[in-house]
Amino acid sequence: MTKIKTQTISPQNENILIRLKRVESQFGYIPEESITEVAQSLDLPVSEIYGVATFYSFLATKPLGRNVIWVCQNLPCHLKHAEITIDNLERTLGIKPGETTSDNKFSLELTNCIGACDYAPAMLINRDLHGNLTPNKISQILKLYK
Amino acid sequence: MAEVKVTINGAQTSGREGVTILELAQENGIKIPTLCYLTELSPTGACRICIVEVEGSRTLVGSCHTPITPGMIIQTHSPKVLATRKVIIELLFASHCGFCMLCNKANVCNLRELAADLDVGLSPFQTRKRFYPIEDNPYIQIDRTQCILCRKCVRACREIAENGILGIAYRSFDTKIVIDNDQPLAQDTCRDCDICISVCPTGCLSKPKKLSAAKTGKPLIIC
Repeated sequence: MTKIKTQTISPQNENILIRLKRVESQFGYIPEESITEVAQSLDLPVSEIYGVATFYSFLATKPLGRNVIWVCQNLPCHLKHAEITIDNLERTLGIKPGETTSDNKFSLELTNCIGACDYAPAMLINRDLHGNLTPNKISQILKLYK
Repeated sequence: MAEVKVTINGAQTSGREGVTILELAQENGIKIPTLCYLTELSPTGACRICIVEVEGSRTLVGSCHTPITPGMIIQTHSPKVLATRKVIIELLFASHCGFCMLCNKANVCNLRELAADLDVGLSPFQTRKRFYPIEDNPYIQIDRTQCILCRKCVRACREIAENGILGIAYRSFDTKIVIDNDQPLAQDTCRDCDICISVCPTGCLSKPKKLSAAKTGKPLIIC
């Protein structure tokens, strides 16, 4: 595997999240090499950085598709049958949560609360909020993304 | 250091400033059960078993990480505390694989000991169980289905062994103990340090079983 350079990380900045966010905006995800580099530059164990990177839904540790769908799986959305939304997306796209379609168009991810409980069940596509989801609405929304 | 006066279980006592409720209780001969606490490690308050009742506090507080404050009135074994501890054990058992009779560490298991102390039988909470294949090398065996995520091994690896190999990653139900960035356990990942094995409160971390297949020499045949 080729080594990916991450010169943009300055040793002065000690915030793990800011660094991981910066790596993600550079590569689109956080490669393993970058996790090791961040750990070394902060003198922290690799396992700790990996723990932070995998904890947050909005930090990707593997490459994602052109459009990323984050479906909220927290309680208010769950009570409004978010599993129907997830089921519907799974069937429409032919992928499970955590996977990317073979044409690299959509990635399906589950997330924790996105602060749109009044629109439950809700999802984000590339940071655009879509709420009060129904199977009909979902197929309309997916057509908007190329 | 200033002395702080508090009341534990109705008796007046005092401790140095900055001492936690758990430490003061231990000094006074009161036994508060713990799973994730170890004197040598930084407290995390992960397991919640050490909760106590503090008058005026909205919730029960974790005694391993709460320092004493002047005038604190603490109940370590009130009915509310005992009932809550029992539920916590039941919740820990909900996704724990729970086959004590098949477990090598059943008789040195802190979780099982506490369950017996608190009269916990079959857990009323049943959920899907985690499944992870057992990993081992000549030095350590990891059975993550028995892990209760107390983080003792993670802290021991970082703070006592100063290796930082073990970590905790992922979120909610998927949370698990990982090696570096979720590497499989290799032959040379760990050496004879055994610190994490000695602190593990369940059967998750143990010395690998030496099967007879590994024995060398002629088999003993008695005719």
